[in-house]
Amino acid sequence: MIIFSTPIIGQLETIMRHVLDWFHGTLNLPWAWAIVATTVVVRIILVPLTVKQIHSMQNLQRYAPQMKEIQKKYKADKQKQNEELMKFYRENQINPAASCLPMLVQIPVFIALYYSLRQFAKHPPGGDLSFLHFIPSIAAHTTTHWGGYILLVIYVASQMASTLYMSATADKTQRILFMIMPLFFVFVIARFPAGLVLYWVTTNLWTVGQGLITRRLMPKTPPPDLFKRSSRTPPKPKEDGDGNGAQPQAEPQAAARPAGQPRKVRRKKGRAGRR
Amino acid sequence: MYRFGVAAVWLYRVTWGALFPTTCKYHPSCSQYAIDALRQKGLVRGSLLAGWRLLRCNPWSHGGFDPVR
Repeated sequence: MIIFSTPIIGQLETIMRHVLDWFHGTLNLPWAWAIVATTVVVRIILVPLTVKQIHSMQNLQRYAPQMKEIQKKYKADKQKQNEELMKFYRENQINPAASCLPMLVQIPVFIALYYSLRQFAKHPPGGDLSFLHFIPSIAAHTTTHWGGYILLVIYVASQMASTLYMSATADKTQRILFMIMPLFFVFVIARFPAGLVLYWVTTNLWTVGQGLITRRLMPKTPPPDLFKRSSRTPPKPKEDGDGNGAQPQAEPQAAARPAGQPRKVRRKKGRAGRR
Repeated sequence: MYRFGVAAVWLYRVTWGALFPTTCKYHPSCSQYAIDALRQKGLVRGSLLAGWRLLRCNPWSHGGFDPVR
C-alpha cells in the first residue's frame, strides 16, 4: 500500500535510480554508461514493436504509386485526402508504420531519468559523473561545458538520421519539416542535464542502427494477396452513414471491396491482425 | 473541466509530440482524437476514450479513419 501512496513521478524516479544503481554498482559502469545501458535495455524491450514498424514501412513503400494517386485526386481537401488514404490502408491491409504506443512508452523513462539527474545535481552520488572525457558531469546543464555543445551537435545529427529511417510520411515538405525540427529543439534540450541528451543520442543511434540492420537482414514481407482477401464477407451495400461510404476508388483492387461502415470494418480487421 | 485535458494534450503536442517525427496511424491522430473526445464527452469519459485509443494505436492494429462518436 505504501507504494501506491507515493506520487507517480517519485516512483518512476525510484525505479530509475535502482536501475542506474544496479548498472553502476553491480556492473561497475560509470554513471554515464549506466544511462547508455538503460537506454539500450529500453530499446531492446521495444524491439518487437519497432521491427514491426520498419516492416510495415517497407510494405507501405510498395503502395507508394497508388497512394500518390489518391493524394493527387484529393489535393484540394486535406481532410478528405487523409480519410481516403486511411481507407486505402485498411482495404489493402497496410499497417501504417507509425503508432503512438512505442513513442509513449518512452515518456516515463524520460521523466524518470530527468528527475534522477536532477537529484544527481543536488546530491552528487559517489563515482565518476563524466562521459568520455568531454562531458565533465552528466547532471549539469548541457551548455555548461564546451563538451555539451559537441553532444548537442551529435544529437541534431542523430535526430535527423533517425528521422530519415523512421519517418512514416512520404510527404516531402513534412519530411523536411521533421528534419529541421531538431535545430529548434536544440535550444530546449540545451537546458536539460547532459545525461538526458545522452539518452536521446543513444536512442536515436539505436534507431538508425536498427533500421540499417532490419533492412539488410530481414526479408521483405511478401505483398499481401489481394485475391485471397476478396473472399471475405462482402460488405453490406446499404449504409452510407458518415458520408464516406461510397467514394470512388483510385485503385482498381480497392474498388473490388467498397468500403463498408468504417468502424465495423476496422474492428474486424483489427482482430484478424492480432491473431 | 475538460479544458484541463485539452491543455494537457497541447502541452504534449508542443513538447514530446514535436520531438517525434511520427504520424499517427489513425485519422484523426491520437492527440486530435483526445481533444475531440474531451470536448464531446467531458473530462472523465473523454480521457478514458483517449486512453483506449492510445492502446489501440499499436503496431498490431490497422489504423484508419476513427473519429469520436
